[in-house]
Amino acid sequence: MTAADEGALSAADPREGGTQLRPDLWHTINERYPGSMIRKESFVPQARLGKSLAASRLTLVSSCGVHLKTDQPLDVCHPFGDFRFMRVPSGAKRDELIIHQLKYPHDDADLDINVIFPIERLQELCEEGCLGGLTPNFFSFIGYNMDPEKFERTVAEGIAEAVVEEERADCALLAPA
Amino acid sequence: MPTVSVTVARDVTEAIKVPRALFLPWPMGHHFGAPFHRDLQRRVVLAALDLLESSEQPGTILDLPIKWADVRREAKTLTEQGRKL
Repeated sequence: MTAADEGALSAADPREGGTQLRPDLWHTINERYPGSMIRKESFVPQARLGKSLAASRLTLVSSCGVHLKTDQPLDVCHPFGDFRFMRVPSGAKRDELIIHQLKYPHDDADLDINVIFPIERLQELCEEGCLGGLTPNFFSFIGYNMDPEKFERTVAEGIAEAVVEEERADCALLAPA
Repeated sequence: MPTVSVTVARDVTEAIKVPRALFLPWPMGHHFGAPFHRDLQRRVVLAALDLLESSEQPGTILDLPIKWADVRREAKTLTEQGRKL
């Protein structure tokens, strides 16, 4: 049993409801961390996949704060955030990775990283031919920061450039922790 | 670059207007399910990849209506076994 299991499940339990488990999160974040969220006035245009998944190279990007245990850890204590991003080799094994992030519960992800960063499931789908390939590296960072404009200039643009220019990805799976 | 997000916070995803997303009514940090529940993790990944191929409208948010209570019931034994590895 983990923290998510505490207490008896009942019909009134939100875990039985099938709706967002932590309601009104957008409001809560903006109240507690004013100015921290990126805002968009219109939808990002929808790029279409020009070929089949079986012929496409996929990358994985997550704000879950995962990286190799041998890397210098992400800074979970800086009040404005750590504006670095980490490259995670797509062939890495579960036991080679560690999470440095304080802003979401990762006790279950510490047991099995695939709960938030499904690296082994993607390796399997690639081996089975469902995916054409994986980029040599995946990407992760700490989602929490107090300067969204700096975040876009540094982390977001840095990952976008690396994904396109270095990794030659065709598409991306995003897991915003 | 075609992208698909997997989210447990529908209201945040609606506010930031991503191109396409798969929503799961699960706790933060559990976007792909429960520890060692490989079938469920795979199911979420495949549902997201299917959405990547099929969605046509910007802002599409698809629900995968699996209750967290059911996930925990399914995963209890798998998680306990995994802890001992």
